[in-house]
Amino acid sequence: MRKALILAIALSVLFFTAIGCKDKGNEAGGSGATEDTVKLGLYVSTTGKIATFGTDTKNGVDLAVEEINKAGGIKGKTIDLRFYDAASKAEEAGNVATKLATQDKVLVAMGEVASGLSLAAAPVFEQNGIPMVSPSSTNPTVTQQGKNIFRICFLDDFQGSACAVFAYKELGKRKAAIIRNQDDPYSTGLADYFRLKFKALGGEIVADESYKEGTKEFASQITNVKAKTPDIIFLPCYYNDVALLSQQIRGQGIGDDVPMLGGDGWESANLIPNSKGALEGSYFGNHYSPEDPSEHVQAFVKGYKAKYNTAPSSLAALGYDVVYVVKKAIEEAGEFDRAKVRDALAALKDFKGVTGTFSIDEHRDARKPISILKIQGDKFLPVKQIQPQDVK
Amino acid sequence: MHRTLLLLVVGVSLAFGVDWFLGEFIEEYVVRIINLCGIAIILAVSLNVINGLCGQFSLGHAGFMAIGAYVSAYFTTTLRVLNTETGETVVRAPLFDGAWGFVPALLIGGMAAAAAGLVVGVPTLRLKGDYLAIATLGFGEIVIIMLTNFESVGAARGLPGLPNYASSFWILTFAWICVVSSVFLQRSTFGRALVAIRENELAAEVMGIRVARLKVMAFIYGAFFAGLAGGLLGHLLRTISPSTFGFMKSIEVVVMLVLGGLGSLTGAIVGAIVLTVLPEALRDVEQQAKLPGIRMVVYALVLILLMIFRPQGIFGQRELSLKLLRRLLPGGRK
Repeated sequence: MRKALILAIALSVLFFTAIGCKDKGNEAGGSGATEDTVKLGLYVSTTGKIATFGTDTKNGVDLAVEEINKAGGIKGKTIDLRFYDAASKAEEAGNVATKLATQDKVLVAMGEVASGLSLAAAPVFEQNGIPMVSPSSTNPTVTQQGKNIFRICFLDDFQGSACAVFAYKELGKRKAAIIRNQDDPYSTGLADYFRLKFKALGGEIVADESYKEGTKEFASQITNVKAKTPDIIFLPCYYNDVALLSQQIRGQGIGDDVPMLGGDGWESANLIPNSKGALEGSYFGNHYSPEDPSEHVQAFVKGYKAKYNTAPSSLAALGYDVVYVVKKAIEEAGEFDRAKVRDALAALKDFKGVTGTFSIDEHRDARKPISILKIQGDKFLPVKQIQPQDVK
Repeated sequence: MHRTLLLLVVGVSLAFGVDWFLGEFIEEYVVRIINLCGIAIILAVSLNVINGLCGQFSLGHAGFMAIGAYVSAYFTTTLRVLNTETGETVVRAPLFDGAWGFVPALLIGGMAAAAAGLVVGVPTLRLKGDYLAIATLGFGEIVIIMLTNFESVGAARGLPGLPNYASSFWILTFAWICVVSSVFLQRSTFGRALVAIRENELAAEVMGIRVARLKVMAFIYGAFFAGLAGGLLGHLLRTISPSTFGFMKSIEVVVMLVLGGLGSLTGAIVGAIVLTVLPEALRDVEQQAKLPGIRMVVYALVLILLMIFRPQGIFGQRELSLKLLRRLLPGGRK
């Protein structure tokens, strides 16, 4: 009995020692940098429910890292990108964040797309004093998790409000209807802020319908909306739902004079083919437009197409920008030091990215415009940029 | 009674010692995995009482976890509710401020889950086999749908900013309590009666076992610990949302049980550890092999192969004990 116990204890001690002791000699190494490399972390989901978002983001990041390394790296050091898959699960996001923070000891971490996963990882990075920059988590609470947490995309509240401003001021609409996915935090967030802003401007929300995740048949919601004769319909949903919704809305006889409006969830190469023309003349807000003629954007689109043989989505563009944001912050910090990079991120001004020119504000969020795109034929045409000050 | 007290003291001091050891010498990443293992052990062991011992196939464990997680978080976390009419955010300070409130909050969460277990158990445990599985599955979905619509706990957005209370000490202490109480339960009249129900419900009833009542009690026991585990998980992840406690979570726990051997306590523990460590351990394999995505393929293959070659699970219904070890070691007494 006693022998067995001693054996068990000895074995478990051995086991723990083997799997990973605290590296006490390296406590001062808050730099994530060696002689000629700098470690950056990336965690997005390349498997699971939101794998497409993660893969696009990772493609954008990889492209940027490749470009930077080819051009001589950041301050002479090549980027050593450590990537882990968060598998679309909050637990795994927390695990990989801990791995990046305590095993790889990265200088800066980049990720996640989904706010729910960013929220699980943020406390880990905050605790370890590692700056984290999310390329595309739009929920306001993400950057409230600590002074090391940043993002380079606009927020749900801005996006929802900007859509309301666009509908009211640019399109002159006064009676809006909303159809929202009640199970999706992104959808309800956008819907809530659109509703608030549209009413504050003096418009009327004539209908606010919701549906459950996975619904394919929206007849009852659309009937209710139609009865209230809105002059615009706000659809804060993802493209697959929008494709179905739009066809059914037009199918029920709501005419082209009632455009549909949505957020960045609409963006997909499948949106136009799947909606079979029902979205002609509708609008959505997005991070950028690949049709943007500016040189910087076109160079990115060309590079991306050459590498992946497909047009970059907004998520890819944000993934691309996040690496350059980190690069700029490190260069401005002047040192490979987490605290200094954090301060440089917080003070970032007028960064010129492919998703627009932006600065980081006092809430560690990006202050940047939203591009409203119009669907015409098989193209998304940029029609208007709404600036943060337009919404205030 | 003395023995119970002694075991509790031993468990708490053990947890205390391990917590110190982990904090002092072991990397945070590994500590996190160990913490997740502890939570998985609570889940698997408590489900083992319902599915393994009593033979009732429940798929509602994630629902109980969600109740425990949300109720405990309701007491420990600062709530921010957006009023969609006025645009104002209403802030409510935590009801139990400070770390002392963690254990009461957890226990309240566990009790709320147990109460739900009672409410669900009474009508559904009349059902058997597949029907019970479907009914409990439905229960889990109802919990998720309700949480998605409660604006005060963030609705679909979930609840971020849970305080950092789930230390290794508490996780290991509760895992210990869960395992020890389960051992006691298994050896008690109650536990034997549960096994009798599993083996033959009619015969058990003829022998004077109050089948319905015992089934509900097993259900409540399982629900209570699932609620505790949910609270611990929430405070470890520091953010909860309804989608964390989806139907796949219940399936994960069932897979742990089946892998370890349905009805075996040690099997449940081993299953919980293997299924928590394996996906993380495979991360390094993936990195070395430079095959992104291979992790989940290997994970699935391990499960499939195990079920082909050992359908009864690693341990079957047997328990791993020192006696068994001694018998297996060379030169041991038979």
